[in-house]
Amino acid sequence: MAELDHDDAGLSFDLSEEHDGTPLVTVEGELDMITAPELDSAVGPILARQPSRLVIDASRLEFADSSAIALLVTWANRVPEIEIRQPPELLRRVIARMGLSDRLQVRP
Amino acid sequence: MADANEGVRASDVAPRARQWPYWAAVAVAVVGLLVTGVLTWVSAHNYHRNENRLLALRAHDLGSALTSALPGIQTDLASAAALADATGGNVAKFNTFVAPYAGTGRQFVSISLWRLGGPDRTPVAVAGVTPTLPTSSVSTPALFQHAAASGKLTVIGFLTGPIPRIGYAFTGMSKGPFAVYAESVLPPSRYAPPQKGAAFTDLNYALYLGASTNPRNLLIASVRHLPLPGRHATVKVPFGDTVLTTTVAARGTLTGSLPQRLPWAIAIGGVLLTILATALTVRLIERRRATERLAGELEVAADENRRLYAEQRGIAQTLQHALLPASLPQFPGLQISARYEAGAEGVEIGGDWYDVIELGDGRLLLVVGDVSGKGLPAATAMATLRFAIHAYAVEGDDPATFLPKLSGLISVYEDKQLATVLCAVIDPRSRQVTLTSAGHLPPLIIAGAETRFLDTPVGLPVGVDRAAAYASVTVSAPPGATFLAYTDGLVERRGETIEVGLERLRAEVSSNHVPLDQLLGRVLDDLRHDAPDDTAIAGIRWLS
Repeated sequence: MAELDHDDAGLSFDLSEEHDGTPLVTVEGELDMITAPELDSAVGPILARQPSRLVIDASRLEFADSSAIALLVTWANRVPEIEIRQPPELLRRVIARMGLSDRLQVRP
Repeated sequence: MADANEGVRASDVAPRARQWPYWAAVAVAVVGLLVTGVLTWVSAHNYHRNENRLLALRAHDLGSALTSALPGIQTDLASAAALADATGGNVAKFNTFVAPYAGTGRQFVSISLWRLGGPDRTPVAVAGVTPTLPTSSVSTPALFQHAAASGKLTVIGFLTGPIPRIGYAFTGMSKGPFAVYAESVLPPSRYAPPQKGAAFTDLNYALYLGASTNPRNLLIASVRHLPLPGRHATVKVPFGDTVLTTTVAARGTLTGSLPQRLPWAIAIGGVLLTILATALTVRLIERRRATERLAGELEVAADENRRLYAEQRGIAQTLQHALLPASLPQFPGLQISARYEAGAEGVEIGGDWYDVIELGDGRLLLVVGDVSGKGLPAATAMATLRFAIHAYAVEGDDPATFLPKLSGLISVYEDKQLATVLCAVIDPRSRQVTLTSAGHLPPLIIAGAETRFLDTPVGLPVGVDRAAAYASVTVSAPPGATFLAYTDGLVERRGETIEVGLERLRAEVSSNHVPLDQLLGRVLDDLRHDAPDDTAIAGIRWLS
């Protein structure tokens, strides 16, 4: 498990695992074109292990722009199943507005 | 458009008028020395006043001691005179009585008995050494007459001789017929060091016969050389028919060593404190000057940064506009307008664009798009997409056909970029608008009092899937309607959902009934202050 804080960039994230071993990425703060590359670099090794599922806990995400969406779409393409857990309303709306609801599974 | 000249050049900053910076240190030094001087003077003044007071008291004490000691001389002579009077001048009895007092080393070197009105130069009896009186210039009848008349001890100062003597004449209370005359010697040099353990050892003194302190009248002194060193006090005590004048001086300090040293301690301490305070002030001043210098340098650096920022912003804007259409086509019966605005931090170029393309059959294609990210990669992708759309559209492809092909030009998986694109094929005459959206925000239509977003089926953003399918919807615009398409920079704000921004845009547009060009300007001005993201907006208005 690795924990990295990037408060100065407006985003902190935590990489862990669910009970069944599913990788869990917890993001907090602002995910935008400035912070997205760092998160992508950190998650890269997890995706390289080709997990069958990836869970993103977005319950404490405060902002997400199109770069954030691009990042999620990229991840979604690399795992059979991606779950965005408890996204805030703004992320839910952006995903819907961009026509990506089928690509990015949002629960609940 | 940002003006590259708006930055302030460093050379424009006028040098500040500077005072000599160390005046405060000088003021501290002057005040410190003044305070030290005043305190030193006050403590020294107090010390000297107290010393003078104490010395005066000691002199007074000494005078009292002398006053009480002097009658001893008088008493012996008075008793001898009374005895002579009572015994009719019995020489044997006189000699017996005065023997303990007369002779060398005794109180008087010589005591003699004289008959008033007797022979001038011949005493009746002599005890001790021969008196020098008869050989002096003093008139003995006058002396004894004076002694008898005054009833006091008559003192004759400084009889000449190898050893100076003082003579005393006394006639007794009955005033005759006998007078007693005595002589005492002074120390050869008139020097008599004070005896240890005696009173007044803390004082030097000089004793003068008479009211004057003329050295010729000196009887005795505790120092070899006059005048006495140090501060003086003088006291006079009666002595027979004359006075004794005593000058005293303290051998050391009378009030103690602390009051004596206090002024010095204050002076030295004050000067040291003043030096310290001055040095501290100088240091503070220098530190402040260094800070000011640093602030000045930072200001220059900030000016330079602002200049570079403005320059870079200018370059970014120029490049951006070069990538956007130089002019928009004109159609009869239509107003067409479009704007691009860089983000508030618009140093980098962005990925937003607009385009209006003549399709050749009288229709036009209005495009508004947004490549995610910023900088050259976004601008390059934007230019690629804009020109590709141009080519496909001119070839006759409709948007639902060419949008999937665009995903062959950019790929979110390879470039981390995707693009949202809204295409509106517009027929100016029939006012038919066919909308196709690749993940883009819905366009607005303003028709009379009604302003609403047009429901558009939304397909995947460009760059996600080359096999994506896009559905189109065709709406009919009423006469005089205004159609607006925009990018998310206009409505997206941190801390709120996109719906809030959309409603803000709808309200802004509804309340502005001005020419299209002005409408776009106002919308940008009102909704975009300090927006970080760049924004493109394009509009079409039917004149009828």
